[in-house]
Amino acid sequence: MAVTAPTTPARPATVTSRAGAAAVTTALVLLVAALAVVDITQGTAAVGPAEVLKALTGRADPADASVVIASRLPRAAAGLLVGAALGMAGVALQAVSRNVLASPDTLAVNAGSYLALGLAAVTGVSLPLLASSGIAFAGGLAAAAVVLGLSGLGAGTVRLVLAGTALALGLTAVTEGLLLLFPEQTEGLYQWNQGSIGQNGFEGVVQMLPVAVLGLVGLLLIARRVDALALGDDAARGLGVPVRATRITAVVLATLLSAAAVTLAGPIGFVGLCAPALVRPLARRFRGFARVRTAVPAAGLVGAGLVLGADVLLRACVDPDTAVAVPTGVVTSLVGAVFLVVMAARLRDTAQAAAPDRLRIRSRAVFLTTLAVLAVALVALTVAAVLLGDSKLLLGDVAHWVQGRAGQTVSFVLDTRTPRVFAALLAGAALALAGTLVQAVTRNPLAEPAVLGVSGGGALGAVILVTTVPLAGAWSVAGAAFAGSALTAVVVFGLAARGGFQQNRLVLVGVGVASGTTALISLLIVLTDPFNATKALTWLSGSTYGRTLPDVLPLAGVLAVAVAVAAVRHRELDLVSLDEDTPRLLGLDLPRGRLGFLVLSVLLSATAVAAAGTIGFVGLVAPHAARALVGRRHARVLPVALLLGAVLVCTADLLGRTVISPAQLGAGLMTAVIGTPYFLYVLMRGRR
Amino acid sequence: MRRLLLTAPLAAAALLLTACGTTEPAADDAKASTEAITLTDATGAKVELDGPATKVVGTEWNVVESLVSLGVDPVGVADVKGYKTWDTAVPLKNDPKDIGTRGEPSMDTIASLKPDLIVTTSDLQPGAVKQLREVAPVLQVTSADAADPIGRMLENVDLIARATGTTERAATLKKDFEAKLAEGRKALADAGLDGAEIAFADGYVTSNQVSVRPYTAGSLIGAVNERLGLKNAWKMKGDEAYGLASTDVEGLTGLGKVHFVYIGNDDDPSSDPFGKELAKNSVWTSLPFVKSGDVHRLSDGVWMFGGTGSMEAYADSLVAALTK
Repeated sequence: MAVTAPTTPARPATVTSRAGAAAVTTALVLLVAALAVVDITQGTAAVGPAEVLKALTGRADPADASVVIASRLPRAAAGLLVGAALGMAGVALQAVSRNVLASPDTLAVNAGSYLALGLAAVTGVSLPLLASSGIAFAGGLAAAAVVLGLSGLGAGTVRLVLAGTALALGLTAVTEGLLLLFPEQTEGLYQWNQGSIGQNGFEGVVQMLPVAVLGLVGLLLIARRVDALALGDDAARGLGVPVRATRITAVVLATLLSAAAVTLAGPIGFVGLCAPALVRPLARRFRGFARVRTAVPAAGLVGAGLVLGADVLLRACVDPDTAVAVPTGVVTSLVGAVFLVVMAARLRDTAQAAAPDRLRIRSRAVFLTTLAVLAVALVALTVAAVLLGDSKLLLGDVAHWVQGRAGQTVSFVLDTRTPRVFAALLAGAALALAGTLVQAVTRNPLAEPAVLGVSGGGALGAVILVTTVPLAGAWSVAGAAFAGSALTAVVVFGLAARGGFQQNRLVLVGVGVASGTTALISLLIVLTDPFNATKALTWLSGSTYGRTLPDVLPLAGVLAVAVAVAAVRHRELDLVSLDEDTPRLLGLDLPRGRLGFLVLSVLLSATAVAAAGTIGFVGLVAPHAARALVGRRHARVLPVALLLGAVLVCTADLLGRTVISPAQLGAGLMTAVIGTPYFLYVLMRGRR
Repeated sequence: MRRLLLTAPLAAAALLLTACGTTEPAADDAKASTEAITLTDATGAKVELDGPATKVVGTEWNVVESLVSLGVDPVGVADVKGYKTWDTAVPLKNDPKDIGTRGEPSMDTIASLKPDLIVTTSDLQPGAVKQLREVAPVLQVTSADAADPIGRMLENVDLIARATGTTERAATLKKDFEAKLAEGRKALADAGLDGAEIAFADGYVTSNQVSVRPYTAGSLIGAVNERLGLKNAWKMKGDEAYGLASTDVEGLTGLGKVHFVYIGNDDDPSSDPFGKELAKNSVWTSLPFVKSGDVHRLSDGVWMFGGTGSMEAYADSLVAALTK
């Protein structure tokens, strides 16, 4: 017996654990109650604590009482309900997917609901609340099904979050397209998308309460089975638990809960992620919370506390009328983004990075053919982009224009159209190059400037400058974008540096930072230019609208330098992308080389943002496709990726300008619509 | 991918073959200029015209309304359908080309109209204005100014009138506008409403939330109210251009006993929360002006940020509602 393992450390007695859990629960209830009480005393009407007290004891004057009853209490109740529903949904989703980063946001449930409601709004039918809740539920469920189906259950944390985030981006792009196309029908939908818990009376809460209760009861009923899933599918099956049915039921119930929350208040970001994460440390101390049956209500309480806390904080910080304009969801999104980053940085990177593309040796002929075909396609596309638009031109017009003897209209059209074509071509090439560099340096097939938050940081920098200095020039916008990009890059790469860049942590931190910058841009626009949602959408969706040649110059300059550097050092890129050891054996200064390439890619994405807004997925799609076509050698990948990027963005811009003319869509929206399926495909392929 | 790569050059060749020729003959001689007009617009830019502009494009509804009032039928208007919904006080008399959204009007469509003047506002992004200046002379007016809303609106009318050679008509418009305000003021005073407190707002509903947008003293409507001898009841500060603030239903409790006036639109179901969604809200129903039935929805189609025509229609509608 002496050789056996030491006796297991004494566990705290179950009795004290139970008592502790009870004490913690009581404390949580008290905290939420306190927040709710504070929330009730805040608002635009002059009804403070004293009046609230009077109203609650029935001694207030009727007007004050009605404010408390019809405005404050419903708002607090909505906050409670929404927070609780999201927290509970988060626990359920995390339990069935065995994944600490699953939540209504990361499973694209909110984005699916948003798109479904947007589609309903466009039809112009005014729906009763319950019906729109049903639509939101259907949309959310469909999105969750796609994400869970693609990412596989219980497997990769990273894959789930990435599939969810990518789908959310694609769906949101479609919805934002709808917002731009149907501004009247979808009025207020943009604000709604930020999430706000204000209510017109109790009606909404009363209608959604049964839905939420249904979700809660359902979850409690299957709690035991969900617990069993934690043991692994086979073990659970061994215990006689129907794994598939349990999982589907839990996801449906969680979607029901988040649909109720979304219908009531719009998507309140990240509560479903944060609340379970806050409960988890409790579960470590008090074993009672480790079981789903207790974790669900506990996360509900924490979620309610988060939403009410965000609301209280917001109203305490800014004056009441401004607070009305700032959506609660922006505050929780900011908090949640920080949370996601911290969690990602601490996460043990168990999931393997997606396997590198199979080493394909392609013949020189294939490479040359590809290059030639792409070059011809690019030329043709450029010609098409110059000729096509709301008014169609012919080549002779262009010839006249080049010689400076074109007629008035043709000159007008070409003077305004060519800068846009250039901006699209160059931005596409720059993003493709930036993506190629980042993927080589980090050896991460999912890394790209938009996913890493670098583009978002650039947009934030540019928006800050544009809102403070209305007549900022092209170079200063590019400079501001670079400052923003550089800052986010330092944060993202700095946090991900531990353990090397190749880890998936990099992408997760990036995703967190990207959503943080999006929330900050929304906040900035709401505070400085509340009636200009188009402005925010233009920056966030990527558009070449209104670009002139000088605007494109910084991008052209940086691209020229970057192409030269990459061409000279393509062998180093080959080595860096191979593995950690080979370059070192060859005496290469890895850190410095990496830093140089990263700086270059940050410069590229920043100038691309300044010229055309945040255009996602190009940096991902172009290098992948290039490697698939011509193999992994950078001497071949680089030119092909550059051409592909230019072709992709130019096509997106051309479609955006012509399909629904005279109205138009940003190129970024189009690339998201094209890029999302590709991103999901890459994820799928990595699974095998 | 392979197939795509093969078809691309074919498509390209076809495109190149079909795209030869021109859509417009080469420019020959410039047309002789007559009675040239030179003005300085709101941004300080010089606008030079060969003569009074007749083919005019408007990128924002307020300038379109001014153009129509001045007897100049614009050839291009942004979001024609929206204009027809929200500004029936000054209906379009012709059938202008839709140039796209107000935020991002299409350069191509504008250029294809060959306008001799583009009238736009400070709401359009600078880059777009820069491009438009290459298309045709651009007259950029300050969209609104909370420091002097009426003065700003009339100045804009003047500026547009000078560019289109309709200064006489502008003088008539201004005279009619002043007369309408004086007439309204008298009617209200006769009804004992001189100095009465008024709160104008619009509101919209999303999901179960009601947003209210107060029109403070810095808004055009607010300024017209004051000229009609009424007092603005809103105490919050609006934004610097349009004088608009934001609040929610409980924010209305600070108003006291006022005349509450709003404009909705039957074609936009979410634009009438005061008449529909708030009916059962006890905060709303306990408001003094709601109890006394002093809530007035004015006629549809009066554009709250429009020109003299909209404001006259507003004054008429308001006087009719308050003196009923």
